[in-house]
Amino acid sequence: MGIYITGIGVVGGFGCGVTELLACLENGATPVKELPASRSHGSAYGPAFLADTSYLETFVPKKSLRRIDHFSQMAILGAYLALQDAGMPSLTGQRTGLVVCSGYGAANTTFSFLDSIIDNGDVCASPTLFSNSVHNAAAGHISILMELDGPCLTVSQFEMSVSSGLISACLWLEEGRVDQVLFGAVDEYCNVLGYCWRRFFGEGNNGIMTPLSPDRQSAIPGEGAAFFLLSRDKAGSSRYASVRDVRMGRLDDNGISCPEDAILILGADGHSRCDEPYINFISQGTEAACYSPLYGSLPIGQAFDMAIAALSIKKGRIFASPGAVARQDSINIIKEDHLIGSKSICCLKLGKEGEFGMATLSPK
Amino acid sequence: MKRAPVAITGIGCLSAAGMTLKENMASLFSGARHVAPPKRFSGSHPVSYPVFEMSEDPVPTRKSKDNISRTCGLGLAATIEALTDAGLEAEGMAGVKVGVCMGTTVGSAMNNEEFYRNYRNDLHPDMAIIERFLNGNPASVIAREFSLSGPCQTIVNACSSGTDAIGIGASWIRSGRCDIVIAGGADELCRVTYNGFISLMISDDSACRPFDRNRKGLNLGEGAAVLILESDNFIRKRNKTARAFVLGYGSACDGYHLTAPHPDGKGLKKALADALLESGKTGKDIAFVNTHGTATRDNDRTEVKVLREMLPNAPFLSTKGYTGHTLGAAGAIEAAFTVACLESGMIPANAGFAEPDPELGASPVTGIANIQKKIAISESLAFGGDNAALALGMERE
Repeated sequence: MGIYITGIGVVGGFGCGVTELLACLENGATPVKELPASRSHGSAYGPAFLADTSYLETFVPKKSLRRIDHFSQMAILGAYLALQDAGMPSLTGQRTGLVVCSGYGAANTTFSFLDSIIDNGDVCASPTLFSNSVHNAAAGHISILMELDGPCLTVSQFEMSVSSGLISACLWLEEGRVDQVLFGAVDEYCNVLGYCWRRFFGEGNNGIMTPLSPDRQSAIPGEGAAFFLLSRDKAGSSRYASVRDVRMGRLDDNGISCPEDAILILGADGHSRCDEPYINFISQGTEAACYSPLYGSLPIGQAFDMAIAALSIKKGRIFASPGAVARQDSINIIKEDHLIGSKSICCLKLGKEGEFGMATLSPK
Repeated sequence: MKRAPVAITGIGCLSAAGMTLKENMASLFSGARHVAPPKRFSGSHPVSYPVFEMSEDPVPTRKSKDNISRTCGLGLAATIEALTDAGLEAEGMAGVKVGVCMGTTVGSAMNNEEFYRNYRNDLHPDMAIIERFLNGNPASVIAREFSLSGPCQTIVNACSSGTDAIGIGASWIRSGRCDIVIAGGADELCRVTYNGFISLMISDDSACRPFDRNRKGLNLGEGAAVLILESDNFIRKRNKTARAFVLGYGSACDGYHLTAPHPDGKGLKKALADALLESGKTGKDIAFVNTHGTATRDNDRTEVKVLREMLPNAPFLSTKGYTGHTLGAAGAIEAAFTVACLESGMIPANAGFAEPDPELGASPVTGIANIQKKIAISESLAFGGDNAALALGMERE
């Protein structure tokens, strides 16, 4: 049974919506921003790819957003953008599932809740911050605003969150539990996270990410959301692509088999220790691209790669990797746009302990 | 639509009521309640809110000795008991498609108070705490411990996570994606979460009283449970028999409120209806319902309203009076209890219940009761408006 992507909604450092993502893909660059001081207690780490959610007011009245934090607002915006991109189908009365993936959840609100305890004592812990700090708060807000009543799932599997959640989303469709799934992923930057980066990796870099350079730690924090409307209905298939396969496993087992002549999008994101397995694993001469310099380093980066893969399939061409992606003798890094015909695209994410997650999109 | 039953071949469970499923069931049927003020942390509330804290720590495994959370330790201990019960060893799972699907809440939260206090005070916090968090994804820890290579999923649907993990694990088996799924939930007691529930004014300052007229809220607890789900082919290959079956699973969100259930139980009704539909059974086949039964005013009102409408003749109970509310583990622990009750042909009393609530119009079981039927429901409601229900049975049909 086919599962089709009929709408995409993205928000991140590159901008808001597929048009702005497409513009960055064509320009090959996303400007990084200096961090605002307001993002949780403490000082900023350095530049980051930050998301602006102001466009959300197009879909939701400002007063309804007062008590919804930045994390959930990114997710809500991604979800609405995906629906808008799909032509705003009515969800009422439809069997619609919701799957939201996140590596770290609502980090800023989690620490703000701790602030309420530390600053004011246990008896003054904030109930609003507590209820918004749970990992499934974003899914809860989406279901309330969109009046969803189908199955709902939030998954947190760090870097494997997207592949893991997508497995369940596809199974819901395959087994006929639902007719469509609003599937998405979200993660946010916070100053505590930046502090951890500084302690683990040293001071921030010069604002240029150079993934696939195992001797250089170049990751820049990112944040954002990427959502997809997935459907069993083939009528919408011409919009983007089909999800042909989703897999998780360990490299040291039987490795990963990609479809013959498929193109790889690598989830390498400038963490030297994490990027090395890509170089070691990829077969000699494999055609691969890497787009993390456009959205930054965040656990759910694979969702942005899926959006880029779907856009590539729709356009019939693969986009050049941003200039900063390092060249490796063993990998044929795509440095120029070119036509791809009916090739499939595999979005591959490798973990630091040999685990992998891979989503394969194809034109049919 | 009716779906194929999925076999349960092993169960592991630990909570304040016991370190094994057998110990837990002995506590439930003896009426023992191990509820007391927290020992591992303190608070500055004017009253002490009791919790169901485990008296022993889970035994660390060889691999897990290095820097994992208590939640992961609980999950591993439940997994080891469940695998032993199923007659499975690590060697027997080599080359087999084994997935891990675990529910949690605390286990995925980056909210370490010690780290954050030191961070705020520029006291160079210990990064081992963050490393432990990054190494401590509950599903990944189990997969790593047993060198498993199948899908791995940590579900964070708040309090329905454990129920959802079992339902989704069953889907992985039916689809052929896995031969075995280690499915369940784990959560430790945590001061931050403790303060959170108190801030919402849904914690009781005495032992919780599910469905009682004078109920004031929940007591938090900790623990873990794991069910080993197995494909028919793999069971045949191992020449084993099923202990019970996952017959149906339903999940539906309320789309109503972040922390309160829909007053009419809209999502719960749908989840329950789907679980029954998948099982191919009707209300008259149900032996009992192991409710979410947190003892909060709203939860218990909603649950009884739905049960009176959908399963008016099924006896119901909450087991949270024995374990406390174990959050992401609760659904799994209660599924384990549900199977154990079906096996024994008895259900325990709803601990903490003394006075019927006229507003509810129905009361839980008040003493140990015999059951004849072979199918039961275990259900969960959660923050975010999530609802989930499992139909569990002793027989395939």
